[in-house]
Amino acid sequence: MPSSEIVRFSHVSKQYPGTLANDDVSLSIRAGELFALVGENGAGKSTLMNLLYGLQQPTLGEIFIRGRKTGPQHGPENAMCMGVSMVHQHFKLVPGFTVAQNILLGHEPKKGLFYDEAAAIAKTRALSEEYGLEVEPEAVVRELSVGLQQRVEILKALRAGADVLILDEPTAVLTPQESEELFEVIRRIVREKGMTVILITHKLPEVMRISDRVGVMRRGRLEKVLVTAETSEREIASLMVGRDVLFDDLRTEKPAGEERLRLSGLKALSDRGLPALRGVDLSVRAGEIVGVCGVEGNGQTELAECIAGMRPATDGSVTLLGRDVTGCEPRAIRAQGLSYIPEDRMSMGMDAKASVAENLLLGRQRTPAFSRFGLHLRKREVKKHAQELAQAFDIRLSGVDEPASDLSGGNMQKVVIAREFTFGTPVLVVSQPTRGVDIGATEFIHERIIQKRNEGCAILLISADLDELFRLSDRLVTLYEGRVTGRFDTGGITKEEIGYYMTGGRQAAKEGDAQ
Amino acid sequence: MRDFVQSLRALLRLKPSQKLTRDYLISLAAAVLLALMVGAGVMLLCGHDPIKGYGALVSGALGKPRAVGNTLAKTVTLCLTGLAMSLAAKAGIFNVGGEGQLYLGAMAAAVVGAQLRGVPAWLVTVLSLLAAMAAGGLYALLPGVLKVRWKVDEVITTIMLNSVAIYFCSFLANGPLKTAERGIATGTDSILKEAAFTPLIKLSNLTTGVFYAAVAALIVWYVMSRSSIGFEMKLTGENDRFARYGGIRTGKLMLWAMVMSGALCGMVGMLEVFGLHKRFLTTVSNEFYFDGMLVAMIMRYNPFGVILMSFFFAILSIGSKSMELSAGVSSELILIVQSIIIFFMAAEGGIRKEFSDRAALRRARASAVRKEEA
Repeated sequence: MPSSEIVRFSHVSKQYPGTLANDDVSLSIRAGELFALVGENGAGKSTLMNLLYGLQQPTLGEIFIRGRKTGPQHGPENAMCMGVSMVHQHFKLVPGFTVAQNILLGHEPKKGLFYDEAAAIAKTRALSEEYGLEVEPEAVVRELSVGLQQRVEILKALRAGADVLILDEPTAVLTPQESEELFEVIRRIVREKGMTVILITHKLPEVMRISDRVGVMRRGRLEKVLVTAETSEREIASLMVGRDVLFDDLRTEKPAGEERLRLSGLKALSDRGLPALRGVDLSVRAGEIVGVCGVEGNGQTELAECIAGMRPATDGSVTLLGRDVTGCEPRAIRAQGLSYIPEDRMSMGMDAKASVAENLLLGRQRTPAFSRFGLHLRKREVKKHAQELAQAFDIRLSGVDEPASDLSGGNMQKVVIAREFTFGTPVLVVSQPTRGVDIGATEFIHERIIQKRNEGCAILLISADLDELFRLSDRLVTLYEGRVTGRFDTGGITKEEIGYYMTGGRQAAKEGDAQ
Repeated sequence: MRDFVQSLRALLRLKPSQKLTRDYLISLAAAVLLALMVGAGVMLLCGHDPIKGYGALVSGALGKPRAVGNTLAKTVTLCLTGLAMSLAAKAGIFNVGGEGQLYLGAMAAAVVGAQLRGVPAWLVTVLSLLAAMAAGGLYALLPGVLKVRWKVDEVITTIMLNSVAIYFCSFLANGPLKTAERGIATGTDSILKEAAFTPLIKLSNLTTGVFYAAVAALIVWYVMSRSSIGFEMKLTGENDRFARYGGIRTGKLMLWAMVMSGALCGMVGMLEVFGLHKRFLTTVSNEFYFDGMLVAMIMRYNPFGVILMSFFFAILSIGSKSMELSAGVSSELILIVQSIIIFFMAAEGGIRKEFSDRAALRRARASAVRKEEA
């Protein structure tokens, strides 16, 4: 194992208004290793790396790159000069440019005064061959898959001469196949080119598979640095959460009841006015969870919003408990028997400026329990109700009058779930219930969803997290480019197989067979 | 008007969502104090005695029963217009067109008050009030529908519709409805004398109309802070996507807020006609609505705060005239004081954030030092 130190954090703290994002972190990273940095959302992983990359300055402590201390002027440009580069979760590419143009942006080869296209393509090709990262230099970035765009980002970093590469949650947007290819690439640049890679993630299986060492962060502190070969997923998980966690399979074999939600030929447009749903047929029965999986941006958002009445359908129909509710207002759909956990809790699931009590009240503000004659708001009842729900759903807060924005991600989601799960509606649409939520709260939320299923609810679960879908769903459908490309019983398929359907692969294969 | 638009730009940044916190009220008190100190400085520079100047201001506003009456009457105007602004803003729609709604309300009240005969005088008053509220409310509905249906920016449409209403009323008062009475340049016929409000304090502008205003203010306060519909309005104003998702008919709610806001403005016009001029005059309002808007914005659309702040602004406004007369300080000084208050309140969020960031940094450093020592 290579042992020379390349990056060192010495007693680094970063104070944000209200939170201490990094608390006295000391860490040494060796040249040529694949170091995984894990922790729950908000544990301070990204903050720590932003300090290294110079996006922010530490409040206290020092950072050394190759023994040289970074100064107060340390910024991304400076970091790149020192060989540190970062690939962010959201790519920073020019969509309308070609791959070659993106990679060489700012360092374009010139012929006289003009951009030398041929040289740029040759240069890109050479770079891509050197690192074994296949790309098509003349392809326009906008038309590439997410996995390929990520590859362009990595090449861009390599071109800048980086030998320390920070990858921020690189697999969050990838299919299992694309993740696999990415790992292959990472392994190659570490083993063959001697690069140092720092991988920020919270997916433990990938940490176990590819990293040399792993640093576990919790609440801003670096809990422990472990050698991957000498630890287990369970040990890392308990360090992340601060206690033991158990993830069991929660499915049951109970037969489902009558059909409660039916979509036929549902079509809708995305916010950009492009077709997002191209004819979806789906049905959910009482007492079952139907999981919708797919790479993000294949119509999941639009699907949920269409059912809940937040987005107009351009064609097809939604039938809820035997009644056609296509084109109805959210109010009417709720009254017919639907509750909905939206994927975007900050902008749709809650009003961050309102108090927790007010967020828990919505939908009940005119019922006799909380309103005299539908006019006078009974504030005492509102408060009592909020306190009861906070207790029942383990929402941690200083008081129900505090603004919802003061809560952590997990507690915010619990507020949304507490509100929606207590309407007692026979149908639930649950979208990304545990995104950005810590492991403890995830466990809790999963239990609640299962409880609802056992009570006989019909649940449509939309998630980008395959583990979650496999753990909870009775049936699975894959969504690709606004169409259902496969339907499975959860027991009868593996995650790898699902991946083909998520990328439309099996569909293409079938069409090939037909010819 | 141009000054007004400039203050508007700064103040629209104060979103209705922001609460009247204790910190905010402390900042407000500091801003008021600072503004008064700057005002004192200006007086010194101009060779006046600030104590004498402010003394004249206070005694001019509150020194005599008549002055108190005028100050209260001004408070009523500021308060109702401020509440009109707050009501709409709370639901997420900015009614900058209150001035026009006020004019139309005044005109409607003047016409009904002058033409309606053969019914008891009290009924004339009530019907005129209803006519004024209907005129203002319906005129506010127009930009409301444009906003809800076609997403046309209501700030623009309401400002534009002000001019339409004001010039339309001016046309009526100069043309078809011009009174035949002598000595009235541009005004309509006089309203039924018995239907007009009577002064509560001799020679002052405070009339029995204040009771109508008090009832209206109470209703608005109740709707905004204690009712279910007020809760729905608040959520709609803060996050309309969330409100719609939760089953609130946000479009309808915004329209109602707009109609109520316009009706309040119409009512202010009626109070002016029936309390003061006894007919429609083209000078019925002197940008009253815009003063009310400023009060509403400074108090972050909090109805109770609006009522209190209206009184303070009324003192400044009424007192400034006697300050000019008895202490010789130009009444424009009060505009400076008002502008400084607005300036500080618009910058308040940023200034306070700066302070709290610095405090957090100091705390972090201190705790690190303690750790090192330990």
